[in-house]
Amino acid sequence: MPTPAIKSQPVYPALEWDRAGTHHVLFVAADEAALARRLWAQPPAGPITLILQHADGAPMTGWLAERPASVHTIAAATLELALKALGDTLRAAQMGTRLYLVGPEDAIWQAARLADGFGMSRDEMRLMQAGTRARPVFCVHCRTVTRGVHTHIVPCSGCGRALFVRDHFSRRLGAYMGFQIDAEAPGDIPAAEVIYP
Amino acid sequence: MSHASLNVEIGRIRDLAPGIREFSLRRSDGADFPVFSGGSHTVLSLPLGERVHRNPYSLLGDPSVRDTWRIAVRLQEASRGGSRWLHEDAREGMRLDISAPVNLFALNRTGRRHILVAGGIGITPILSQARELARLGADFEVHYAYRAPEFGVFADELETLAPGRIHHYVQSRREQIEFGSLLAGRPLGTHFYICGPAGMVAASLNAGKSLGWPDSHLHSEQFLAPSGGEPFDVKLALSGHRFSVPSDLSLLEAIEQQGVDAPYLCRGGACGQCELEVLGADGELIHHDLYLSADERASGTKIMPCVSRLKGGCLTLNL
Repeated sequence: MPTPAIKSQPVYPALEWDRAGTHHVLFVAADEAALARRLWAQPPAGPITLILQHADGAPMTGWLAERPASVHTIAAATLELALKALGDTLRAAQMGTRLYLVGPEDAIWQAARLADGFGMSRDEMRLMQAGTRARPVFCVHCRTVTRGVHTHIVPCSGCGRALFVRDHFSRRLGAYMGFQIDAEAPGDIPAAEVIYP
Repeated sequence: MSHASLNVEIGRIRDLAPGIREFSLRRSDGADFPVFSGGSHTVLSLPLGERVHRNPYSLLGDPSVRDTWRIAVRLQEASRGGSRWLHEDAREGMRLDISAPVNLFALNRTGRRHILVAGGIGITPILSQARELARLGADFEVHYAYRAPEFGVFADELETLAPGRIHHYVQSRREQIEFGSLLAGRPLGTHFYICGPAGMVAASLNAGKSLGWPDSHLHSEQFLAPSGGEPFDVKLALSGHRFSVPSDLSLLEAIEQQGVDAPYLCRGGACGQCELEVLGADGELIHHDLYLSADERASGTKIMPCVSRLKGGCLTLNL
C-alpha cells in the first residue's frame, strides 16, 4: 500500500478481526464479497452484530449468505438508518467491543465520528475503504460539506465556489479539504476530471 | 538538564498514619503556584548530606488552591534516604527546590465514565484526579484499598468530594478488589486509572486486557525508587568522562555527580525522558523501568538511567 504524500490522508490496511475484543460490531456499506468471505471464514470469539446498508440496492450476498448463523443482523435501506442502528447498538455496548467499518469514506467516517461520541478510541475501531471512491469535501470558506465528489474540482454545495479537492483529510470532520481554485485569477477554472470513481 | 524550579517553604507537617506524613508547601517568594491537572506530580530536591536526592511526589490537593501544594509521603522501608529525610529531618519552615508540575497520569477528557483505583499511598494522584472529575461534573467512582482502617488517610476527604461514590477495601478485614468483576460489563467509553503496588497494578491491567479493554482506556502510574545494585563503570563517549557508579547511587545520579547535564523528568522509570543510547555494554543491562518496550529492551541499545543499571564491567553511553 503506497504511503500518501500528505500524512493526514488515511491509509486503510486490509481488514482483520481484532481477536482481543469480546464483542464485535461490523458496519458495512459496500458489497465486498471477497472480504466478506475472508472475514466469515474465521470469525472471532464473542457475539457479532452486522449492520448492513444495502448501498444503491446492492444485493450484499457475500455478507448475508456466508455469515455464521449466530450473527445478529440489522439491515438498513439508507446510510441514515444504518447510522441510527449503529448508535442504538453502541449505546447498549460495553467495554471490550470492537467496531469494524467497511464502505465508502463518507459512510465509514460518519460512523467513526458517531463512535467517537460514545467515547470509543481509535484502537477500538478498524476502518476499510470499499465501494465508491467518492470524497466528502469540506469547503474551507463556508464550511459546508459537499458529498459524493468524483472530480478534482467541484462547485461547493453551500457557497458555489469552485473548490479544488485536496488529499488533506480531517478525521474530525470526516472530509477532505476543498479550497477555491480561482481565488487569485477569478473565472480561471480548469475542466473537472473524474479521478475519484 | 535545567528545569524551571520553584523554591518552597515547608508549611504544616501532619502525621496521618504510622509511616505516612502530609506536607503543605508554600512558595518562598509568596507568589501563586502554577495550575496543575489531576494526576500531576512534582520532583522534590532533598538535601541529603553532600548530595541532592530527587524524588517525585503526586500533588494531592485542589488545583484551584494556588497558594498551597500538598503532598503525602510514605516512609519506604528500603529508603535510600529521600522518604527517610522527609520523615525524620524535615521541619516546618525549611526550604526546598521543587520542579514545575508534570503529568504522566492525565485524565482522558473524552471519557464518558471513569473508574479510579488506589492502593495505599497510591491514593495521592487519584485524589487530585477525583477533584478534577468532580469539578467537571463527570461520571466517576473511586475504589480505595488500604491495609487497615487507620491507613485510609484520605477517606473523609474523598467522601466529602464525592459522597456515595467511594468504595473502601480494607485488607485487615480481608476485603479485596476483584478486578474481573469491577471491569466487566462496563459501558463503552469507560476509562480505568490505577495507582498502587506493582502486583495490584499488574493484576488489574491483566483483568482489563482479558475483558477486551484496549490499552488506550487502561491508565496506570507507578513510581519506582532506584534500587541499588552492584557497582559498575561508565564511559560517556561524547564528554569523555569515565567513572564508577557505586551501589547506592543510580546511574543518573552518578552522571549528575560528574557535572554532566543529562535529561530527566520523573526519575521513577515512568516518563521516558532520561532515555540514553547504549553504545557498548560489557555485561547485562538490568532494566527496571516501566517505559521501554520488550523489543527495545531486547535491542540492548537503550537504557533509562534513573532506575536501570549494568551488571558487569563497563557501560558506554552516547552522552
